[in-house]
Amino acid sequence: MSIIEVKDLVKTYKIIQKEDGLKGYIKNLIKPKYNEITAVKGINFNINEGELVGYIGENGAGKSTTIKMLTGLLSPTSGKVIVNGIVPNEKRIENNKNIGAVFGQKTQLWWDLPVIESFRLIKKMYKIPENEYRKNLKKFTEILDLEDLLEKQVKNLSLGQKMRCEIAATFLHNPKIVYLDEPTIGLDVFVKENIRKFIKDINKEKKTTVILTTHDLKDIEDVCDRIILLDKGKIIYDGEKQKFKDTYGKYVIAEFIINSKNRTISNLDNATILEENEKSLKVKFMHNETTIVKLMNEISNYCIIEDIHIKEAELEDILKEIYKGAHKC
Amino acid sequence: MLKSMLALGKMQFYQYNIYKSNFYLFTLNRIVEIVVYIFVWQAIYTQTGNAGGYTIAQMITYYILVFTLSSLSCWGVNEDMAHSIRNGNINKELLNPLSYFQYYFGVNIGEMGFALVTGIATFIICSLVWGITVPVSFINFLLFITIILLGIPITFFFTMITGTFGFYSSSIWGMQILRKSIISIFSGIIAPITLFPKWFQNIANILPFKELIYTPINIWLGQITVNEIIFVILKQVIWIGILYLVAKLFFNHAIKKVTINGG
Repeated sequence: MSIIEVKDLVKTYKIIQKEDGLKGYIKNLIKPKYNEITAVKGINFNINEGELVGYIGENGAGKSTTIKMLTGLLSPTSGKVIVNGIVPNEKRIENNKNIGAVFGQKTQLWWDLPVIESFRLIKKMYKIPENEYRKNLKKFTEILDLEDLLEKQVKNLSLGQKMRCEIAATFLHNPKIVYLDEPTIGLDVFVKENIRKFIKDINKEKKTTVILTTHDLKDIEDVCDRIILLDKGKIIYDGEKQKFKDTYGKYVIAEFIINSKNRTISNLDNATILEENEKSLKVKFMHNETTIVKLMNEISNYCIIEDIHIKEAELEDILKEIYKGAHKC
Repeated sequence: MLKSMLALGKMQFYQYNIYKSNFYLFTLNRIVEIVVYIFVWQAIYTQTGNAGGYTIAQMITYYILVFTLSSLSCWGVNEDMAHSIRNGNINKELLNPLSYFQYYFGVNIGEMGFALVTGIATFIICSLVWGITVPVSFINFLLFITIILLGIPITFFFTMITGTFGFYSSSIWGMQILRKSIISIFSGIIAPITLFPKWFQNIANILPFKELIYTPINIWLGQITVNEIIFVILKQVIWIGILYLVAKLFFNHAIKKVTINGG
């Protein structure tokens, strides 16, 4: 039984097309022209209870729009969303009782008050039983290391401290589903690890379904079992992380800074040339097919190598690879 | 639900209390205003000896009570609403297990609590300095409290109406000024309504703002009969209904705009 069902979901925004000048302004007032932008173009997926799903894609791919429709903050243009048996945008308050959400750096904590006061308010609002509240608070304080933060005013916390408190606040009422929209943005490695561990622990213990959007692939690697990839409003990959990781781990991009090239490098063994000019050469290859040493040998026939930068494939590269792979299957 | 709203009120009250200077400054500000009004009226009374059927002692009591009560009717959650609409925190507020109105009514309780504390402080200080006419009877005092309590939902729904303009315009500063002016003119904060021209009094009689300040003070001073008070309460209840409906319909329209085209 799926806890979240999304069927043929479409979201179209109407945006007023602005015209220049006073004439344009008056024209707009009388008869506004609309531009239609379709942010989400008919997506389908089901999520089961207890799943940890990474919902990823580039900026503007439609991730936040989807999350907003799942939480009931936006109404779909067409299609169906059912969360825990409820249509969220029709019965928002009822849906709110079952969910928790973090939106980037927006905070639900009260700025001028100690963190613990915000927690107490959440306890009252969600009617969390006293013993449940104590148990959660104790556990969360332990994992997220909140001991010294609870009595501090929110305005005196650093970004990382604030986010740890925010995450704790979101899970306090034992929500069935939690939406985390870029919870690790702008945080240092230690805080990120802390938060990842927390999400995994809670998921294991309480079977909380978590939907995580992020640009940090390490988040996905660490936390998620399943990945849904979105590109320009469409799902281009939906499946296990392992498959995603295999593809992700294989590719490496190397940029060679070169000098005195004698002829065009048209072909390299087991590697693809991405970019080539007088000063540099960008190459993509797979670890199991060739090595950087072999490539250097080959390239030095054409020119002098001055420097090498090696980087792991970016989200966009992986995304394209998976797209191809999905087509082959 | 009531517990949640009270908890919210407590939070808002604490939030104000963090800045202790707020309390002293608000109270001081009140007292300065009262001093100005009392001087003006003392000057007028030495010339004419009478104004609007009040003795000078009653007039001084009128203004002390005005500034005890004025924060209750002039403050509101407009700024909090506008702020959260602008910075996107509205999304978080809409995800609360309470409705938007319940959430802000809770916040409003805290706001009113703080207004009451500064009001009472003003009252104590001023009545020690200038003296005050006591309520004509205990019944009148209870009715005074009742009318004031009934005024709280009236100001709240009125605030929600002006606050909802924040969904359409990024600045509601003008709206706020307008709201405060309407309240201070028609509630009798500036001067007792009987001193205004007849046509103005007719408008004030229809609008619900007179019952925020002018009417309860006149109950205190014994200028209104019990029969009239029953009518006043009926009028307030009807206005609560009207303002609630308008606020709710307007807000539902505004929120649709947000949920259809995004924040």
